[in-house]
Amino acid sequence: MSRSVWKGPFVDAYVLKKAEAAREAGRNEVIKIWSRRSTILPQFVGLTFGVYNGKKHVPVLVSEDMIGQKFGEYSPTRTYYGHAADKKAKRK
Amino acid sequence: MPEDRVVVGSIAGAFGVRGEVRLKSYCSDPEAIADYTPLYTKDGRSFPVVVLTGITNNGLTAHMDGIVTKEDADALKGTELFASRDVMPDLPDDEYYYNDLIGLSVFDTGGNNLGTVKTVVNHGATDLLEVTKMGYRDTVLLPFTKAAVPTVDIAAGRIVADPPEGLFPDA
Repeated sequence: MSRSVWKGPFVDAYVLKKAEAAREAGRNEVIKIWSRRSTILPQFVGLTFGVYNGKKHVPVLVSEDMIGQKFGEYSPTRTYYGHAADKKAKRK
Repeated sequence: MPEDRVVVGSIAGAFGVRGEVRLKSYCSDPEAIADYTPLYTKDGRSFPVVVLTGITNNGLTAHMDGIVTKEDADALKGTELFASRDVMPDLPDDEYYYNDLIGLSVFDTGGNNLGTVKTVVNHGATDLLEVTKMGYRDTVLLPFTKAAVPTVDIAAGRIVADPPEGLFPDA
């Protein structure tokens, strides 16, 4: 069952606090968070979060199309590398 | 084997009794493996023509030059297939093949060596360069963005990075 709309999106309070502090400071830094359950809010766009995956903090640069998802979705706890073959990386 | 060859797939075994093979493609578009002909094996055998004939569980089926019987196909089970890097199409600006990035040296804007690109991963956000430094066990994930990686010089084998604060422990 999905979350009731009247409650609004869930975000751990410390994530909001850290994001706000980083935005005010305007520094280029990775905001380390452990809260994989927090929802990505519009005010996080452009910030880089280090989302803990149980071993290390995976850098996640938040973009507009990630709004409404959870941080944990971008920091897998199991990693499969596979083959590089013809895979391409795009520098955004 | 020449260094410019990259693994694009492997032969998973025979398909049927008429010399067709089951192909496991590692390409981002599996069917693109047929565009990268000629394919080579590690021991130097080449397959100039690969004709895809269908899709099966966990792979593709294909006719390959020189494989005419089921026994031929079975003998090649598990063989990795390589393509020459030259046959892959050129990419637009700011787009790179993982294989071109792997092995590049990473320097910061001050010229200090931060390590070497071990692999490239993408978890749904931006692409990440996994950088490993000699003498360190842990790797560092560097976002592959214009801000964090202002310069990529594949010819010179180097990347200049301006990593966010706190990403590299002693940078």
